[in-house]
Amino acid sequence: KPKTARSARALKKREPKVQENTKTAIFIRGSQTSQIVNAALADLCSLKKPNAVMFSKKNDIHPFDDETPLQFFCQKNDASLFVVGMHSKKRPHNLVFVRMFDGQVLDMIEIGIEKSVSLKDIKTSKCQVGMRPLFLFNGEIFDKSTNHKMFKNMLLDFFRGQSTDSISPTGLEHVISVSADSNGKIYFRVYIVKLNKSGQRTPRVELEEMGPSFDFVIRRTKFAKEEVYKKATRIPKQLKPKKVKNVDVNEMGDKIAKIHLGKQDFDKIQTRKVKALKKRDIDTATEGEPKDEKEKVHKKVRIVG
Amino acid sequence: MDVSTQLEVKQQSLTVEKAVPLEFDLALLAGFDINTLDEERLRQNTDKYLKECSRNGTQLIINEIFKLPTNSTEDGTFAELPDQITKIPREKPVPKPKPLTRWEKFAKLKGIQNRKQSRKVFDEATGEWVPRWGYKGANDDGTNDWLIPVPQNAGINATRHTRNLEEGARGADQKSAKEELMKKISISKSATASIGRFDKPLKGEPKIKGVKRKFDPLISDMNKEKEANLNIVNGLFGKKDKSDIINARKARNMA
Repeated sequence: KPKTARSARALKKREPKVQENTKTAIFIRGSQTSQIVNAALADLCSLKKPNAVMFSKKNDIHPFDDETPLQFFCQKNDASLFVVGMHSKKRPHNLVFVRMFDGQVLDMIEIGIEKSVSLKDIKTSKCQVGMRPLFLFNGEIFDKSTNHKMFKNMLLDFFRGQSTDSISPTGLEHVISVSADSNGKIYFRVYIVKLNKSGQRTPRVELEEMGPSFDFVIRRTKFAKEEVYKKATRIPKQLKPKKVKNVDVNEMGDKIAKIHLGKQDFDKIQTRKVKALKKRDIDTATEGEPKDEKEKVHKKVRIVG
Repeated sequence: MDVSTQLEVKQQSLTVEKAVPLEFDLALLAGFDINTLDEERLRQNTDKYLKECSRNGTQLIINEIFKLPTNSTEDGTFAELPDQITKIPREKPVPKPKPLTRWEKFAKLKGIQNRKQSRKVFDEATGEWVPRWGYKGANDDGTNDWLIPVPQNAGINATRHTRNLEEGARGADQKSAKEELMKKISISKSATASIGRFDKPLKGEPKIKGVKRKFDPLISDMNKEKEANLNIVNGLFGKKDKSDIINARKARNMA
C-alpha cells in the first residue's frame, strides 16, 4: 500500500484504465547475441523511443521455453511489449517479439534477420523522437497467412506511439513500410516523408531512406488463446461509439428527429373555457339558476345598504 | 502548356494507380496494400523497387489524410482521425467500474460540477489580472502588513480598566489566600480514581472533614412531614411567574 503521495501516484499510473497508456517496450539480449542482433535491438529501440527501455546486461532468457522472466520484467517495469534478441547456430540472428496481457504472455513471434542495415550506416537526417509513424503493409500475404497477420498486428501495436484523436500534417515525419513476397520473406524499411508542394492542397510525397532496414523471415509463432484474445480486444463501454436514437438524415440531407410524446388524455386538454359546456348534474341545472339570481340580488342589496 | 494540361500534370503527381484499392486504418495512420508485388523487380533492385512502392502507398495515405475533416486551433490545423478499425489487444483488462463514493453520489444527485478556480482573478479597480491569493493577491486586506495605521478602536477599554484597578486594590489578603489554597488542595485530593478514599494521609496534614448529611427519622411528626412536602411542591409549581420548565437538579437538591 502506498505510504507517500508520490508512490500513490505511481501506482495509480499503473492501474488498468479505460483509455490505456502508451505501451512500453523492453529490449533484452539473450545469453548469446551477435553484432547484427545488438544493432537491430538498438535501432528498434530508437524507433520506439520514448516508450522503450533497453536492458544493457545479457539475460538467460528463452521466451518459448520459460515465460517467468518476461512476467517479472513486465510487472516491474510496467511494460507489455518485449523484443528478445538471441543468436545460436540453429537460429542465427533471432528476434522474438512478445506481447503481454494482464501480466501473462499473450502471443509471440520469432523472427530471423537475414539482412540488415543499421541506422548508423545510413547517413541521412533522422526524424524527431516520439513522432507517430505512417504504416504501409504491401503484399496480399498479410491478409492470407495467419503468421503474417499476427506480425502485422504486432508491428502496428509496437510502433504506433501515442494514440490521439487528431493529427497535424507537420507531425507525419516517417513511414514504416513492410512488404512481403509470395515466399513470406518480409522487407522492413523506414523512410523519411517529405511533403512537397504540388500546387494543390494535398502535397506530393517523396521518400528518403532513414533506416533501419531489415529482411525478416518468420520462424516460430505462439498464438494467443481465443478466450484470452477476446478478453484483450474487448472495448470498454465508455469507448464504444454512442448511438444517437431517433435522429435520421433523409434523402434531401436534412436532419430529421422524432419526438415521442405520451398518450394524450382528451379530458384534460386545455382549451378555451365555455361555461355552458361545463359538466354539472342535469337535475339541479334549472333549479340552481333562479337561486343564484336571488342570491346575487341579495348581495347587491347588502352592498348598497 | 495551357491551363488544363498544366492542371492535369499537377493532378497526375498525386494520383497513384493500383489494381486493387488500398484499405486504410487512419486511426493508426496505416494503409494496407493487397496488390501483388513485382517479384522480378523485387529480386533485381530490391531497395529501389521497395522505395517506389512505398512512395506510392504513402502518397495514397497522405491523400486520404488530407480528405479528413479538419479543425483549426491556435496550435495549428489538425485532421480529425476516424475510429480505429484494427483490433489491437490491450495491455491490461478493462477496469471494473468503482462504486461511487458518498460525496460522488451526492454531487451527481445535486448536479454539482467540479470547477477548478483559475489562479488569476480580474481586479476591477486596477483593471488587471491579479493572483487570487498569495503574493500581491486580490484577497490581501492589508492587516498582515509589517506596518499598519493604528486602528480606530485602539485606546483604553474604560470599563475593563476600572474593573482591573478595583481588583488590584482589593489586594492579596493573607488569611483568605491561605484559606483558598487549603480549599484547593482538598479539592485536588478528591481528584483521583478512588475520589481520595484510599490515599495514605501525609504527615502533619489535617484530616479533611466531610459534610455530614442529616436525615430525619423515618416515622416522625405527621404535620411536620406534611408541611415539608407541601413546601417542596409549592416551590416547584406554586409560583405564578415560574415557567413549566423544572430544573431537575435543583428539584433533587430541594427534596
